[in-house]
Amino acid sequence: MELIIFYIFSAIVLTAGLLVVSLRNTARALFLFFVVLFAMAGLFIFALADFIAITQIMVYVGGVLILMIFAFMLSNKELLADLQNASGKFLSLPNWQSILLSIGFLVVMVYSIMDWQSVDQPNWITTNIQNNQIIKSTDNTIEQLGIKFMTQFLLPFEVISIFLLAALIGAAHLSRREGNP
Amino acid sequence: MNGLMNISPITSSIIITLLPLLAFIIQALLGKRTQSGFISLIAIVISTILSAFFVFTKIWMNTPQMVDYNWFTIGHHTFTAGILLNNLTALMQLLVCIIALAVHVYSKSYMKGDPGIHRYWMYLSLFCFAMLGLCISKNLLIMYIFWELVGFASYLLIGFWFTKDSAVQANKKAFIVNRIGDLGFLLGLATLYSLYGSLDLTELFALDGLFYNLPNQPTGLLTFSGICFFIGAMAKSAQFPLHVWLPDAMEGPTAVSSLIHAATMVAAGVFLLSSIFPLFNASVLLIITIIGTMTALSAACFALSQRDIKKILAFSTISQLGFMVVAIGIGAWDAGMFHLITHAFFKCLLFLGAGAVIHEMSHLKEINQLDFDPQDINNMGNLRKWMPKTFILMAVASLALAGFPLTSGFLSKDAILIATLEWGIQHGSFYLLVPITLIIVSILTSFYISRLMFKVFFGEFKLTVKKFKLQEASAIMLWPMLFLGIGCLFLLFSWNPLSYQSASIFKGLIVSYQFSEIHALHMLLPVGLTIGSLIAGSVAWNWYIRNKYPLNPQGNKWIEFTFNQGYINEFYSVIFVNGTILFSKGLFWFDRTIIDGLVRFVGEVTKGLASLSSWFDRIIVDGLINKVGSTTYYIGHLLRWAQNGRLQNYLGFAFTLVLIGIIYLILQ
Amino acid sequence: MITLTHFLIVSACLFCIGLYAVLAKRNAILILIGIEFMINAAILNLVAFGRYDKLVYGGQIFALFAIVLAAAAVAVGLAIILNVYQHYKSINPDDITDLRD
Repeated sequence: MELIIFYIFSAIVLTAGLLVVSLRNTARALFLFFVVLFAMAGLFIFALADFIAITQIMVYVGGVLILMIFAFMLSNKELLADLQNASGKFLSLPNWQSILLSIGFLVVMVYSIMDWQSVDQPNWITTNIQNNQIIKSTDNTIEQLGIKFMTQFLLPFEVISIFLLAALIGAAHLSRREGNP
Repeated sequence: MNGLMNISPITSSIIITLLPLLAFIIQALLGKRTQSGFISLIAIVISTILSAFFVFTKIWMNTPQMVDYNWFTIGHHTFTAGILLNNLTALMQLLVCIIALAVHVYSKSYMKGDPGIHRYWMYLSLFCFAMLGLCISKNLLIMYIFWELVGFASYLLIGFWFTKDSAVQANKKAFIVNRIGDLGFLLGLATLYSLYGSLDLTELFALDGLFYNLPNQPTGLLTFSGICFFIGAMAKSAQFPLHVWLPDAMEGPTAVSSLIHAATMVAAGVFLLSSIFPLFNASVLLIITIIGTMTALSAACFALSQRDIKKILAFSTISQLGFMVVAIGIGAWDAGMFHLITHAFFKCLLFLGAGAVIHEMSHLKEINQLDFDPQDINNMGNLRKWMPKTFILMAVASLALAGFPLTSGFLSKDAILIATLEWGIQHGSFYLLVPITLIIVSILTSFYISRLMFKVFFGEFKLTVKKFKLQEASAIMLWPMLFLGIGCLFLLFSWNPLSYQSASIFKGLIVSYQFSEIHALHMLLPVGLTIGSLIAGSVAWNWYIRNKYPLNPQGNKWIEFTFNQGYINEFYSVIFVNGTILFSKGLFWFDRTIIDGLVRFVGEVTKGLASLSSWFDRIIVDGLINKVGSTTYYIGHLLRWAQNGRLQNYLGFAFTLVLIGIIYLILQ
Repeated sequence: MITLTHFLIVSACLFCIGLYAVLAKRNAILILIGIEFMINAAILNLVAFGRYDKLVYGGQIFALFAIVLAAAAVAVGLAIILNVYQHYKSINPDDITDLRD
């Protein structure tokens, strides 16, 4: 049962992803991106990372995507203009070299995964499974994540807040209007 | 003077032969300036004097003289050229000189005023040179050369008035028919040389010659060579069926006809046969006899209905030549030579007389500006009233031709006829046809010559003209005719007018007959022949003077047949002339279509190959080079992508390399 | 049973889709989206492995950091794109060919 739902979610992710890269209309692509991000959150749930799922929805969907849509919609009309107006097809013409390259990468990765699967799992995973140290669905991940953040991963936490501040200032500076000398 | 009187016969003969050649060269160089013919006349006079006094008197009935010069050598074979002076050749030489002298004198008056007269003297001298050279040749090869030269001179003289189309056709015909004879002569020469290794007359036929020392030659080859020589004589002496050129040769001037085609050139064939007589075996001699008989008969028949005075005389010549050839065929070549000599005199005289008549008739035509044929005997008549001397001389010649007693012709003709009868009686049955035919021919001869004489000199003048002026021939024409007329009488040849055997000629030419003599015939035949001739003459008188002509002159088929010369000319024209033209057309087609087609085909093939190789060069060779260039360009074009300034391209390349690296690691 | 392999394959596919978008698209925004895809695939990978790590919760912590970084990147990227557009009047990355003069 679980498996089927997982497959459905994966299908949604992949289909929407393919549509995003092949649609002509950029606005529609952005909305489908929205669908992708939601489905990704669903997949995170299956990996028993519920906090990550929620964070994904809040930050990505509610922040990044909204930012992109705002930037896209509130821009000049020429920005919205279709860059490839040669044919009026629904899907854009694929660039064959890129497709080849992508498929090549895919083949390589899938092959490695399959090859890795036949070989045994890494040691630490086996050890953890034996020692019963894997995350279960009944665990309270939020509590544990909070504890880890404040104790073990404090430094990266602080650094990333400064980084966010820098990014904010930088973005704001870059997009100011050139009006007043 | 003493030294001059002691010129050897050999030297004289050389001078005699070369003098006319010198005259020819001088006149050829002088061209139009020499119109009087004096040079030729001087040459021939000197030749005649030399021949009469320094050659004939010394050689006749004396030992023969000869001289040899080495001419050329091919490998081991040496050919000699030489002069042979024996009874036969000296006699022939004298005859030619005398007749030529008479004709030269006659021509001075006859050809006066002709625009091409300088050429006439030139050609006449050339002919005399060739004929004299032929007479004294010792080697058959030299004789062949002179033989050809004589034919060439005849060609030039027949076509003397070359602006006339009929003259041009006639001389072409004469030359071509003579060529056939020359081919026979050449084949005979070759066969003789291959059999005996020599072409010298004395070497071959003298009493101790090769012919007698090498007796066992293959008879087939001997017969073949005999027939070939006879073919040569046939063409030159106008035997049937190669006689067709002689009637047409009458297109030339009458003086030429008298010299060449009556007395001398046509006699050359008979002379040749006499010279090489020992060569002929029995079968060849029989063929010679038969052809001679056929010639005599057919020519006499054709002469019966001719209207042109010269054509009648031409056929008469052919007929008499037939007589001479028959004489040779039965083995009595001395009789043949005798007849040749007497025939030369009276035939030449007949032609000269006819020439005088024609001269006067054309003069009449000019002053009246009419258009009739001056040579047609139907236009003449009663000319003895205005040309008595010509008439008398021509009458003497006709009597000689008919064989009347007291003339030289009587002696020679009887010689032949009696010999033929003896021969026929000896061999029996079919062989008697020959003498019977010859007797019939003699009677026909007297008939047609009487017809000619009566129609021309008797009766009434047939034409009505306004200005009538016919006069006697000029003195310059008459003197040679008189001289020849004397020669027609018996006195020149024998003291006995009735018996030929006492003729001096027979003492010189010694021939042993293969048949026995029958004395009775020596009396009977002359009498019978004379009676026959008289009857024929009276029949002619009845028909032509009394106008009791029994046959229908327009529609009678026999008259048509003989007038058209038995349609032999038409036969030759269809068979040989058209045949040759058809053949040459066929060859032309072959050349055009097949050979040219082949060449064109080869050209097309070459063109095709050339275009093929050009295609190859253009598409494959050039294409290869171009492909290399374009491949390089394309590779460059591809590699340009590595640095085209596009961000995504750089990313693409980077990722491609990473992929390749991963694949490499995996595969390792 | 959802094994690790399922997650890995899905993330591989998503990564390739993102790679294609980066390499082949003429719109700078779509390139940015492609980058987002690739980052999301990496996050999925991290989370999938992090399931087996109760001691340190390393996978999930790192995933959180990744999300934050991605957001910052997008923000700055968009600002740059807008700036570039003002100068070049086009967002086709092929048209951005001049060096700073």
